[in-house]
Amino acid sequence: MKVLFLQPPMGGWVTWGKHIAINVNHAQLAANLREWYPNIDVHVLDCRALEIDENTMIKILKDIDPNLVYMGDALQTTGVAAIHPRYKRAADLIKSNLPNTKICVGGFFYGANAQNILEETESFDFIIAGETEATMPELAKELSKGDPNISVVKGLTYRDNGSVKMTDYRPLIKNLDELPLPAYDLFPMDKYVGFNYVKKYVETYHSRGCPNGCLFCVGWSNYDKRGKNDWTKYRIRSGKRVVDELEILVKKYGAKFVCIMDEDFNVYRPRVEEFIDEMNKRNLNVPFFFMGRAPYHLRDKDLLKPLREIGFVCGLIGLEAVDEETLKKLHKNVQVDQVAEVVNLFRENNIMSVTTWMVGYPDDDESKIKNRFERIDAIDPDMMALQIMTPLPGIPMYDELKPFIQEWNLEKWDFQHAVINTKHLSREDLGRLAAWANREFYSKPGRIQRILYDKNYHPLCKLIARCYVETADKHAQAAMKNEVFV
Amino acid sequence: MNRAIHISPKDLLYSMQFKDGDFADIAIVCGQPQRAMLALEKIENPVKNFSAFGYTFWTGKYNGRPVTVGNGGFYAPDSAVATELLCVGGVNNIIRLGSCGSLKKEIVVGDYVIAEKALRGDGVTKYYVDESYIPTSDIDLNNKLCNLFENTYKGMVWTTDALLKETKEIVNDVINKGAIAVDMITSAFLTIANVYKKKATALLVVSDNLITGELGFSSIKFFDAEKKMIDKSFAIIDELL
Repeated sequence: MKVLFLQPPMGGWVTWGKHIAINVNHAQLAANLREWYPNIDVHVLDCRALEIDENTMIKILKDIDPNLVYMGDALQTTGVAAIHPRYKRAADLIKSNLPNTKICVGGFFYGANAQNILEETESFDFIIAGETEATMPELAKELSKGDPNISVVKGLTYRDNGSVKMTDYRPLIKNLDELPLPAYDLFPMDKYVGFNYVKKYVETYHSRGCPNGCLFCVGWSNYDKRGKNDWTKYRIRSGKRVVDELEILVKKYGAKFVCIMDEDFNVYRPRVEEFIDEMNKRNLNVPFFFMGRAPYHLRDKDLLKPLREIGFVCGLIGLEAVDEETLKKLHKNVQVDQVAEVVNLFRENNIMSVTTWMVGYPDDDESKIKNRFERIDAIDPDMMALQIMTPLPGIPMYDELKPFIQEWNLEKWDFQHAVINTKHLSREDLGRLAAWANREFYSKPGRIQRILYDKNYHPLCKLIARCYVETADKHAQAAMKNEVFV
Repeated sequence: MNRAIHISPKDLLYSMQFKDGDFADIAIVCGQPQRAMLALEKIENPVKNFSAFGYTFWTGKYNGRPVTVGNGGFYAPDSAVATELLCVGGVNNIIRLGSCGSLKKEIVVGDYVIAEKALRGDGVTKYYVDESYIPTSDIDLNNKLCNLFENTYKGMVWTTDALLKETKEIVNDVINKGAIAVDMITSAFLTIANVYKKKATALLVVSDNLITGELGFSSIKFFDAEKKMIDKSFAIIDELL
């Protein structure tokens, strides 16, 4: 039984510039498969990292001749729903060249929409509903049998005599520390690059879910709707286990920058304390980034200095909206002043701040968006990451947003293109205003120079800032010229 | 009006509680405030001279030598005011760090232009000099700056008040007259300095190119060259002993 984890030729999330990251979902599943079912032969092909075109990809696939190909992602930085057209095209090509190879997808976008997508996508054989970590290896194991019984693999959508069926709901993995660490040894670790310039770049994912469950969050699309708010069931790897992983990345693979992609790395103070302690004990000092919530940062103000000392050079804080009513409606559980205070604290500790915010709420008009921008501008983060509302099926706001969808080409469902209108704005106007906000932000005199030339920020921050400046114009291209990036 | 002049430069300086000796003998002057802030970081123990009418100046020391830094105007009229305040306030050597558009294909974004003289397309200098007057920079300062920077071009800079009227006819005419770059300040700056018999020059980083159409106002290449211009130009102070 041969299983291939395939990242087909594709682009990347334009917000982060040239962005070729390891597929953390593949790395975790490959590790699980290898540990739990060692008789299964595991292969990896990352066409994006190796700059392999479709013809070469098929040639390599023919050489490997896998029984099962898996494609999927767990991080939005690959491209949100815009990955689907890429995976579908790869699946079509594989099916026309290797018709006996089974194809399974899972993760982002698929987890909550398995049945619908399988019905629409002939070249997929299986779609995982919900978390992939146990389901995918079990599927591979079952397929390795002479007479597989797919119906016993929980959390799976499959075809049975032409009709699409779902197996039973698969409960969530409870203890992430019981999972093996990702199988980095199978991936071309020296090929990954982030933010245009950062080589030996790696993204890691040490938790699942998010306790806050913002209603717009694409994280929901990873989860089987039959579970009860599974996305909000937050599970973590311990601080010690996180450092185990970072230690391997630094010592074995020479990682120069680690993007910790947990949706909320700082939920539990003891975990962060343990993380700091372990990093210090092992004398690990690698620059890293993480996303955290403002209230937790304020609760743990005293941890910012030790975090900076062990390498926390850049942090992302989500805000999304600037009026309390909208924030409450979104279940965001942050206050604007909290984010402003964290931005200042970051600056005091020489940590570059990135604040996310959104446009494309149903009631948005030009005045609301520009006023929202003015508040963000006043908070004055070092960088901002503007997201355009993207109504993925599976997110709680989907039903509210569905009537506003204007663009059904999923290549543009990447948070950088406007795919919806609002009650007051056309899709084009929404895109134009997003481009306006990006230009306004980075045009502010001295803002870019503050990062580029301030000696207190880590040199990698300067590279990240360069990337943001260089890609800011991409938002305009997305809005005005319909350029596709993923 | 019966008075000879409504407000003289000294009136204006003293209205800001300026006292003789506040400025140094050497001034490094930028146009944009954020550029001036980067220059401010280069000096030790800066003391603010004044902040008024949009101009802010500080005087401190660089390698032990007094120097004044600040933002001296965006356009010809306000640059004339700021330059006159510096001249009347006792500055004898003024180095302006600005930006320009290139009028030659080979002078690209991130290169530097030293203004040897200026072609007056501004509206303010006619109040100071005759129509035929050609403002010039100080040769000694120019040579010293040239030694500090690579990718430096020396020549005539055309100053215009009309950014959005840089038409083919007008631009080709000034190129034929010898201009290698265009900005909105240099002719006023040099004219006032010349009138007061002060040594002055303008070092300009190229932000765009009118021949190729390249726009680099927000490019990293421009930001880096701008930063380098500020960092390296202070070395001229050591040369002015």
